[in-house]
Amino acid sequence: MAAVKETIEDVKKLEADKYKYGFTTDVEQEFSPKGLDEETVRYISAKKGEPAWMTEWRLKALERFFQMKEPDWAKVKYPPIDFQDIYYYAEPKSGAKYDSIDDVPEEILADFEKLGIPLKEQEVLLGVKGSENRVAVDAVFDSVSVVTTFKAELAKAGVIFCSISEALRDHPELVRKYLGSVVPASDNYFATLNTAVFSDGSFVYVPPGVRCPMELSTYFRMNAEGTGQFERTLIIADKGAYVSYLEGCTAPMRDENQLHAAVVELVALDDAEIKYSTVQNWWPGDENGKGGVYNFVTKRGDCRGKNSKISWTQVETGSAITWKYPSCVLKGENSRGEFYSIAVTNGHQQADTGTKMIHLGKGSTSRIISKGISAGRSDQTYRGLVSIHAKAEGARNFTQCDSLLIGDQCGAHTVPYIECKTPKAVLEHEATTTRLSEDQLFYARQRGLDEEAATALLVNGFVREVLQELPMEFAVEAQNLLKVSLEGSVG
Amino acid sequence: MTTAALTHTPAEQALIEALQGATGWRAQLREATREQGLPTKRNELWKWSDLRRAANDVSAAGELVVDGLDAAFLRPDDGARLNLTLTAKPGASAADAEVTVPAGHAVTLVEHYRAEAGALGNWHLKITLETGARLDRVCIAADAPDGVFVSSAEIVLAPGAVLNQRTLDFGAKLSRIETHITHPGEGADVDLGGVYLLDAKHHADTTTVVHHTGPGGQTRQLVKGAAASHGHGVFQGKFIVDRAAQQTDARMTHRALMLDDRAEIDAKPELEIYADDVQCAHGNALGAIDETALFYMRQRGLPAPKARALLIESFLAEPLDGIADESLRETLKGELRNRLEALS
Repeated sequence: MAAVKETIEDVKKLEADKYKYGFTTDVEQEFSPKGLDEETVRYISAKKGEPAWMTEWRLKALERFFQMKEPDWAKVKYPPIDFQDIYYYAEPKSGAKYDSIDDVPEEILADFEKLGIPLKEQEVLLGVKGSENRVAVDAVFDSVSVVTTFKAELAKAGVIFCSISEALRDHPELVRKYLGSVVPASDNYFATLNTAVFSDGSFVYVPPGVRCPMELSTYFRMNAEGTGQFERTLIIADKGAYVSYLEGCTAPMRDENQLHAAVVELVALDDAEIKYSTVQNWWPGDENGKGGVYNFVTKRGDCRGKNSKISWTQVETGSAITWKYPSCVLKGENSRGEFYSIAVTNGHQQADTGTKMIHLGKGSTSRIISKGISAGRSDQTYRGLVSIHAKAEGARNFTQCDSLLIGDQCGAHTVPYIECKTPKAVLEHEATTTRLSEDQLFYARQRGLDEEAATALLVNGFVREVLQELPMEFAVEAQNLLKVSLEGSVG
Repeated sequence: MTTAALTHTPAEQALIEALQGATGWRAQLREATREQGLPTKRNELWKWSDLRRAANDVSAAGELVVDGLDAAFLRPDDGARLNLTLTAKPGASAADAEVTVPAGHAVTLVEHYRAEAGALGNWHLKITLETGARLDRVCIAADAPDGVFVSSAEIVLAPGAVLNQRTLDFGAKLSRIETHITHPGEGADVDLGGVYLLDAKHHADTTTVVHHTGPGGQTRQLVKGAAASHGHGVFQGKFIVDRAAQQTDARMTHRALMLDDRAEIDAKPELEIYADDVQCAHGNALGAIDETALFYMRQRGLPAPKARALLIESFLAEPLDGIADESLRETLKGELRNRLEALS
């Protein structure tokens, strides 16, 4: 019953404040010079003590970025971003990475504790839960990774889990081989920006045949004012390896708009599987649409090997503006891509999100389940591409995207792109848009639930196919998030 | 957005020249071409139909011959049947007309599109349906193998009006039938059907936008296609449902067959919805011929090509069943059958 009690308490905590992560933590921080130029890039690169080829790569990307045009095809509106008015790097003054948890400044530990992210391994171990529920955490505070837990134990299994700056130092050959091989430097506007100025993020390498002994997770926290967060994540599952990775994000409440432009690259070799789950809860802005995070993210997985599998699961409730399309390039024979998404928009949020499944390999299969819920004055678009190339004989795709509208001031849009170049493929796409059924609401209320509880229950039913895909710990958090995000949207 | 001065292709120059002194829609086309050039795949609305590229063999002004039209503004009588033939002669050309179907009248409009090799023909119709009017519109692009033909129509319905549109497209170097419909709801009804059958590098693009502006509107759309040997089929459908268009019931379906491994079919069934009390759905499916059905028919003694043609015909003919006029329906089905036989 402990779990039940815990859940109830969690919910109570959530109800106390709609966005409980809105606090800021006072940490003495050091910033890069404001603005974007070669000097900023060199500053970041020098800070990280990077090899010359990295600096070169970054500078090339910067040059390319200045030639590129900001994309305007997404169905989102925002004032132009002043890229010269952003700090591209912020780190706690006492140094970036701490050798031991004991060196991490109390303020930062307290910050993560407030967020409910335990960084002390013994605490996690004492956390009663069975050993299979342990999660190794890489904690990223603004631009730097402050601590990574369970490293020693993971190393025993041969798994490398560290920040990308450490990986550059300790495993440069792996980083050089894979970094930018899925999302090239000039891939798109925001990915190019990220390549030039990315600060930190996680690096995972799971060796052949190893099933990663625990869930890996990164927790991103934006704290400093006027900064952007540009993290880069690279995960490689070698032949026959398996890894499940979770990502969580929060930011303080501020009047300004903060930019988050991340890049995530996944590589799955023969028979490998990567499961990537995100619960994104960046500050969405206040009820008048002031402030909030611009979440412009490029996430792509490369199923390079035969029988490889990459699965994206995302719960998107935060951010003022979301622009995000986790994709799978299905190169390997019989490779498989999956995308499960719940996106909730409320208030003045705008989200343009979806996925791309590029079928290149024979017998590659993909499945897309997207559930969008719009409430308040928000606008949400599902934009997805399924592309079957001529050689992808026997490819299969199934897409289902459903939208739910709550209230009459919001919008829900579906823009699926389907391209097919072989007769030996089967593609199916279904989409519906409806509102909450009055009958169902009435039934739930007649059983004694108030309107908000009834709505939450029905919404949970609407998204259950996706919730089932989340790791246990995340599923509970996600359900609560849904409840909170939709508060005030009824009646 | 400011763009640097555009260098026009010969086709663009020819089209601008052909439209010197034109007014109305043709003047808009001239200015759009002058400012932006012909659309390319970089233009989201023309992503899979690169008009500039298709018109690369056009270098002089041409002529779009319109047969069967007495005046540029028409108000047909009740029960009238208009038979138009649009023939694009080599070179760039454009023509347009306006048709108003008076309140309570029922009119049938048949348009045949033809384009000769080296032609870039642009045809535009502005159609208004007054209260309670009915229009049965049939567009056939069956005779334009080497030319480029773009047909666009802007159709505005009044409450209680009924639009039944069917298109049959055997493709061209590039053929595009584009329809923009303003749907006021309130008893108005839109039924759209489309068929394309392509081979030998032919390209057909069916693009529709239905904009629901008022409550209680109904739209049904069924587009079916098949493509073989470098045939390229494109379907772009979009339903927009305004906040005021509550209780809209709109359904879009696109299904297509890939007949061999050199064909390509691209589709984008899009929904843009701002009202919460609506039923909107779209479905899209692509695949190959059902081998078991083929086997069954062959086992019953039908030769393989015949069996194949029959299967494709039964698949493709469904949208044509919705043509109200029996003789017209049978004519179109006959054309489809002939084409299939030529294919196999």
